[in-house]
Amino acid sequence: MELNPCLKHKVLRKSVREFAEGVLGPIAAEIDHQARFPWEVVEAMRPLQYFGIQAPPELGGAGLDTISYAIVIEELSRVSAGVGLCVSVHNSVALYPLLRFGSPEQIQRLAPDLIAGRRIGAFCLTEANAGSDASGVETMAVRQGGDYVVSGTKIFVTNGGVCGLALMFVVTDPGAKQAAASVLMVEKERPGFLVGEIEELAGMRCNPVSSIFLEDCRVPAANLLGRPGFGLKIGLTALDTGRLGIAAQALGIAQAALEAGLRYAKERQQFGRAIASFQTIQNYLADMATEVEAGRLLLYRACALKDSGQAFGTQAAMAKLFCSRVAREVTNLAVQIHGGCGYSKEYEVERLYRDAKVTEIYEGTSEIQRLVIARGLLAQPAVGRAV
Amino acid sequence: MNIVVCLKQVPMVSELPWDSKTGRLKRGQAEGMMNPACKHALEAGLRLKQAQGGRLTVLSMGPPEAQEVLYEALALGADQAVLLCDPRLAGADTLATSYTLARAIQAVTPDFDLALLGCHTTDSETGQVGPQLAEELDLPAAFNVEHLQLAGRTLTVRRVSDGFLETLELDLPALLTITTQEFTPRETPLGGLERAFAQGAVRMLDALAIGADLELVGEKGSAGRMLRVYSPAAQKKGVLLTGAVKKSVQELLERYGDRLGGLIGQDLASEEEGHG
Amino acid sequence: MDKAGRDVWVFGDYRNYFQNRVTLQLLARGRELAAALGGELCVLVLGHELGQWVEEYVAHGADRVLALDHPCLRAYQSETYTRLLVDLALARQPRVILVGATSFGRELAARAAKRLHTGLTADCVELAVNDQGLLVQTAPGFGGNLLAEIVIPRHFPQMATVRPGTFQELPHDYERQAPVEWLPLPAGLKPERVRLLKSERLPPREQALENAPVVVCGGRGMASKKKFRNLQELARLLGGQVAATRPAVYARWSEEGTLVGQAGRQIKPQVLFSFGVSGAIQHTAGISGAPFIVAVNKNPGAVMMQMADVGLVADANQTCLALIRELKKRLRS
Repeated sequence: MELNPCLKHKVLRKSVREFAEGVLGPIAAEIDHQARFPWEVVEAMRPLQYFGIQAPPELGGAGLDTISYAIVIEELSRVSAGVGLCVSVHNSVALYPLLRFGSPEQIQRLAPDLIAGRRIGAFCLTEANAGSDASGVETMAVRQGGDYVVSGTKIFVTNGGVCGLALMFVVTDPGAKQAAASVLMVEKERPGFLVGEIEELAGMRCNPVSSIFLEDCRVPAANLLGRPGFGLKIGLTALDTGRLGIAAQALGIAQAALEAGLRYAKERQQFGRAIASFQTIQNYLADMATEVEAGRLLLYRACALKDSGQAFGTQAAMAKLFCSRVAREVTNLAVQIHGGCGYSKEYEVERLYRDAKVTEIYEGTSEIQRLVIARGLLAQPAVGRAV
Repeated sequence: MNIVVCLKQVPMVSELPWDSKTGRLKRGQAEGMMNPACKHALEAGLRLKQAQGGRLTVLSMGPPEAQEVLYEALALGADQAVLLCDPRLAGADTLATSYTLARAIQAVTPDFDLALLGCHTTDSETGQVGPQLAEELDLPAAFNVEHLQLAGRTLTVRRVSDGFLETLELDLPALLTITTQEFTPRETPLGGLERAFAQGAVRMLDALAIGADLELVGEKGSAGRMLRVYSPAAQKKGVLLTGAVKKSVQELLERYGDRLGGLIGQDLASEEEGHG
Repeated sequence: MDKAGRDVWVFGDYRNYFQNRVTLQLLARGRELAAALGGELCVLVLGHELGQWVEEYVAHGADRVLALDHPCLRAYQSETYTRLLVDLALARQPRVILVGATSFGRELAARAAKRLHTGLTADCVELAVNDQGLLVQTAPGFGGNLLAEIVIPRHFPQMATVRPGTFQELPHDYERQAPVEWLPLPAGLKPERVRLLKSERLPPREQALENAPVVVCGGRGMASKKKFRNLQELARLLGGQVAATRPAVYARWSEEGTLVGQAGRQIKPQVLFSFGVSGAIQHTAGISGAPFIVAVNKNPGAVMMQMADVGLVADANQTCLALIRELKKRLRS
């Protein structure tokens, strides 16, 4: 059993960190304040294969393993969680399902643009009446000749304002709802594809989360991913991978908060000495570091399972559940260490604190993660398997 | 065209933890990084290789961790990487270092056309290895180069030296050291890293493998001896102001107005006139 | 022990004579070293139309001048100069060779040390002779906040470079007399392999930082490019110049030309304001000429704070902004 990072992962982490700190670091606070999507960063990331992290090199991807993927998302998110989110969602719940379920024709036609970052991917499941319960999807796709005509409204679409290709969860047979949940890949330039207002959210503010309206949008049947009625399977598979990305993102936020807390505790003087010399602060820091370390091991373990072709859904859910909680708690403590300054926009931890919360909500709330974990547990015999 | 670039891994100084008791940087804990000027030298080499075709070899001397910068260089487009890794090479001054690098270059890529180095490293900043390697290899050389052009076998380079902008011409094979002024390094593509590690390992060589005389390498081959190391604790009896920022600033101006004052008030007045 | 002679040589670097008096500064210290060794202080000067420099060197304390004056040496070219220096050193066996740490001097000294197979200590801040007759060179070491004392026990000559401004020159005395040897260009000198096509003097604005009465220097603690720019306004109000440390230059908050320290400029302002600078030796090596230092740092233990006459324990940027406000207020009233 190898628990130490290998040289490749170490070099990868350094080089992503250098990129993130160099390109993203100077603007991370500003793009959060202004809720601005940093296209210039996308421009810089394109040739470096950030939009095809695990895609095969034949298609222009970087061909990295899943632990590497987690490291990339973690390091981007450590500097700007909103950009980490963009890259994570694009890779894990847009590109990955296309590569996994798409026909060779679909992959040839749609994947290169995604991999090169010419189109940013989005994943549209949530609706007014459908979130954790995917069976509530009301967006309809009615077959008319060689096309589907799609109508409906998707909300809280990450990358919504900037996406070039959206994986749309629709009902293809309005008669028998759940059986007919399907995924259509819709390019943004199709008539009837309308992007709504950008949401004013508490965190991840540089990511243009929006609604997407489909008004009699005609999409060729050739854009149906997998078979009709295959939607739930695609969705669940995508979310398993997506959860690794969100766990990595949460970890990156927590890591940033830990570092900020450490830095401030060493600098800040009270009662004539650095506050890091007080036991209470030391306890906070010790707890923060322990949680981050535990989360990292859990996440990499789930990634390693995926890389070795084993079932990883339960571990992915555990990693997402755990790391998102760690992010919330560690950012909370980091703000606490900073005192009043931590509540000010002058300091980074205020942003980390806002960014952390949503990791417990999107791509499956913590409650849903527990459901997934429990389902996996209960399906097994009570005596644990040898692992 | 056959290019060899010498790279050094240096501690990331900005991150170095600092021992408040000894005043010493805790080197062991420092993350390593590619020395910035070396990175620019590598970039210059990569651009030449792209334009001319050929082969680019990267070479470093250091502990096993120095493999990191060589993998980074492979990811950026170097064709082969060699690490001189041998405890007998440790403690080398620039005299021994230039000897060792020369032996390695001659052992690994004797038919090289161009050797490139960073103009100085951030951890020692002597800038001596480039000139001394040029002597050891007996090559025409130009240092602190900011711009270069190759026509046939002739290099034309531009550099600033003591306030003079010089244009120099030299024939291959040659040696150049590169500043951080131009040749902005490219970023590492993720797939490049994957390829670098899939491609195979960094070649590790020891002192004997490069045919070095053990009397001339490492601490043994170095001319300088350290007598003692001390903290320049010529500390002044300074005054520390710890209050609120505004109060400290006012106190500074009140108490040291005479030290700061003359020139400040005067310049302020003339400045503000000028700026309306 | 007496493998070498007792003389101390100084390389006569006369390019930029009026801005850069490092040769004269080395003569001052060289005199003390030569006295301690019981040898002569000798200047080696290479070039063309050297008359006035030879006189200057004698006036500033040289016991002997070795001059090689030839039109082909008009331009400073390190390959040829190295050959000449090395051949003369081999023939005359000086014990010590000191070279000013100009760009050219660094090249020349490094190449010559290699040819002579001897040690060279860069950027010495102190030079002395110990009781064994060895040159004790004090130089920044380990990239840390440390100074190292180095000797070169088994190799001769013992060589060192010294940055301009490290030592004080002696007052000149044009009555002084000393022997001057005008040497011929050696026969069979190989042509320089590096051809100098063009050399133009850059406008001397480069010296602004060196001559500024007030310098406002920012380090990593300024935290961002935007905040770093506030130093410009403060410098403007103070009639000073902005300088930077290596991390700030590396982060591209400030230009390479503003770098102060071992690899950058040596400054000697009447007042130095230092914002968010930790005080690594690579930086502090460049500020030894500042008699009054105001440092701002959140960490009172930072080396820079200990070097300061006044240290403000505070956020660098906030203090910069407060100073700007306060200065403007005082001006109005």
